[in-house]
Amino acid sequence: MTKYILKRVGMAFLTLLIITFLLFLLVRIMPGNPFPSERMSADQIANKRAEMGLDNPILVQFVDYIRKLLLEGDFGNGTSLYYGVPINTVLSSCMSNSFRIGGLAILIGTALGLILGITAALHKGKFLDGFCTVLSIIGVCVPSYVFLIFLQYYFSFKIPFFPYFFDAKRFLFSSIIPSLSLSLFTLSTIARFTRNEMVEVMDSDYVRLAESKGMYGNSLVRRHVLRNALIPIVTVLAPLIVDLLTGALVVEKIYGINGIGKLMVDAITGEGIDYNYVLALGILYSTLYIGIMLVVDILYGILDPRIRVQGKAGDA
Amino acid sequence: MKKILSLILAAVMLMSVVSFASAEDAYLGVMLSSNVMSLDTNLATDGDSFEVIADCIDGLTQMDDEGAAIPALAESYDLSDDGLTYTFHLRDAKWTNGAAVTANDFVFAWRRIAKEAGEYAYMLDEIGNIKGAAAIIHDGADPETLAVKAEDDKTFVVELEVPVSFFPSLMYFPTFYPINEEFYNSVGEAYGTSPETFLSNGAFTLEAYTPGAASFSVKKNADYWDAENVKLAGINYQVVGSSDNALTAFRSGTLDIVMINGSQVDAAKKDADLSSKLTVTGAGYMWYLSFSQTEKNADNGALANANLRLAISNAIDRDNLVDNYVMDGSLATYTAVPPQFAASATTGEDFSADQARFADYVGFNPDKAAEYLAAAQEELGREEFTFTMIYGSNEGDEVAKVAQAIKEDVEDLLPGVTINLQSMTKTERLDKMQNDNYDIALTRWGPDYADPMTYLGMWITNNSNNYGFWSNAEYDQLIADCTTGAYITDYDARWDAMLQAETLVMQEAVIAPLYTKANANLISEGVEGVAFHPVALNRVYKNATK
Repeated sequence: MTKYILKRVGMAFLTLLIITFLLFLLVRIMPGNPFPSERMSADQIANKRAEMGLDNPILVQFVDYIRKLLLEGDFGNGTSLYYGVPINTVLSSCMSNSFRIGGLAILIGTALGLILGITAALHKGKFLDGFCTVLSIIGVCVPSYVFLIFLQYYFSFKIPFFPYFFDAKRFLFSSIIPSLSLSLFTLSTIARFTRNEMVEVMDSDYVRLAESKGMYGNSLVRRHVLRNALIPIVTVLAPLIVDLLTGALVVEKIYGINGIGKLMVDAITGEGIDYNYVLALGILYSTLYIGIMLVVDILYGILDPRIRVQGKAGDA
Repeated sequence: MKKILSLILAAVMLMSVVSFASAEDAYLGVMLSSNVMSLDTNLATDGDSFEVIADCIDGLTQMDDEGAAIPALAESYDLSDDGLTYTFHLRDAKWTNGAAVTANDFVFAWRRIAKEAGEYAYMLDEIGNIKGAAAIIHDGADPETLAVKAEDDKTFVVELEVPVSFFPSLMYFPTFYPINEEFYNSVGEAYGTSPETFLSNGAFTLEAYTPGAASFSVKKNADYWDAENVKLAGINYQVVGSSDNALTAFRSGTLDIVMINGSQVDAAKKDADLSSKLTVTGAGYMWYLSFSQTEKNADNGALANANLRLAISNAIDRDNLVDNYVMDGSLATYTAVPPQFAASATTGEDFSADQARFADYVGFNPDKAAEYLAAAQEELGREEFTFTMIYGSNEGDEVAKVAQAIKEDVEDLLPGVTINLQSMTKTERLDKMQNDNYDIALTRWGPDYADPMTYLGMWITNNSNNYGFWSNAEYDQLIADCTTGAYITDYDARWDAMLQAETLVMQEAVIAPLYTKANANLISEGVEGVAFHPVALNRVYKNATK
């Protein structure tokens, strides 16, 4: 198992390195200019490019970049966006906003989704099942920003209870509207999967066997049904988590949240494409995605003993 | 279940208490249409950043309501007889860390601008003509050679290469603001990225801010030298991307000052409640067409022909553009220097008050357009021309519509001329123009200082903003006389020479001016005293009340 995990971690690291290199090449091929200056003369621009090392051969630039990143954990400075400000400073404040709001959305979405899914499964074919299903279909179909605008209009404007825009001074309070909107998709997806998986597991032979042995109610659901139903749910949840953590671009823009989704768009479409921001965010997204996938693989082993056994067989 | 319900109820009640407790009534809610890019005077390049910097830091002078320079950190100044040496006498003022504002703060900040040679360094050499600046910015000379010195803590002396009549009004531009050297060195690269790494000496001080923040605030600076005249408790800034959202936020009372777009202006005028709150202010910048005159562009260099350029300029119905597409109060413009930002110091008359001055060369005049086209066709020996016009997709909702309207006007009135439209980001548009890889560009320029030279200086041979590569020896001479030569000590002669230079630009249609942009603002009832300016600082809140 340890060897297997080490192998997976090694692979993940290699993948990241390749992704970083490809990103490094791609941002430099993108159209646009990191110094869209209207007032600097050609010699001034040339000096700035040289200062940034943009005139060096691309491999030299890449090695410099990786060395700084690995040894000092430093993403460097922006080339044009918030020019000169260390990226780490900007990134950490944006990440904390996105992660906190995304994290809240995951908690709400997963908890309510599970409750909804379990309720529907336990009342299969009855009114509650239909009700939960319709609710979750609506949730999948309605984009989160539409829900956000709805909430913003009714609960910040018509009934001015929540703040109209995100307010860092009242973090938790002003996170409620965006977190609720963001959780909608997760909630619905989790609810649908939970219901379907549970219904399938409840029809399986071993559950019937457990029932015939006299198990029923809560303990049957918890020990046999839910545990088996959770595996595919964990698989679905992983990319949802990454999506939510990496920021919801439109929601962040509309509600005025200084998060990484907004940062990404600013870096690409702002005044001058910013090589280093695009790169830093690309690396961040990839790391999160690969990292979460790694965690999921390990979680499988914990949830399902069969996968652990297979893992061992694979090692041999 | 009951327990959970009561817990939720309690939480909601608690939150509502928190929300009411932090309601700050005397804070002005202000919309920004884009992020503040930097609070460092060396790095800031956009109007929103300049506005926030100016909230927090005073320069030697500041703007009065009409845009004239009035004393700020400098109580007074002396000008030497030859017009080359300014001696500023500083008043007692404090930074927010308690340190006194001294002459050295200016010496340090200005040398740093010259040394870093960034976007606005040209204010020091090309515009301010400060002795030694050009050598530092372009040839890497020692920043110590900049001719600024602190004679003592309260006396700041600047030497110029040539007299600059508008020098005091340059001093309210953020590039010339002071920075406390000791503090700067203690925070280093992080300068201006948070309230802890930023020092104020102005009307407000930074309260909550992170780089790129969508919302942040400044609060009144109790230690400000003129604190008794500052009435606001603070300003809450909110970056709002869409004007629909801005309008709802305004209606909800969250924001007191918002900018709306042309189609909303139309609706607002019909709305009894909103129409009284609508205020149109000059945004300063002028939109115009730039024509590439080089051989490789514009259908084998066809736009090097002045008659063809004049034909296009006379085919555009500018009133139609501002009335039906821009719709926010922008002014149709027929001069190479837009109106509203530069007035003569002796007569007080706006440089471009007379918009009919060039009626022979620019205007909506189908007959003239046809004549110019016929002349061009004869000179060039061909009947048909095809050009591509580039414009920015992220420069305002109205820009694409304006481009389309220009295309229709030109193709309707000038048979044989075809204009293809190509949209791209502003950065790409600038990139194409700077690399001389375009035919016609829909572009804009905002005045950096209140003198016609901020526009006229662009069309001299080899200026980096002369994207058309037009070149005229007579024009170059006139501009040289106005900036470094014969007219610099004679204000009225210089003014006349600039009018003469503008005539040359219009006679040859070096550019086709289109309209001078306005901002349509909604301002809450009871908000008074916000000063709007088309140049340098767009909004100043020092005297505002709510």
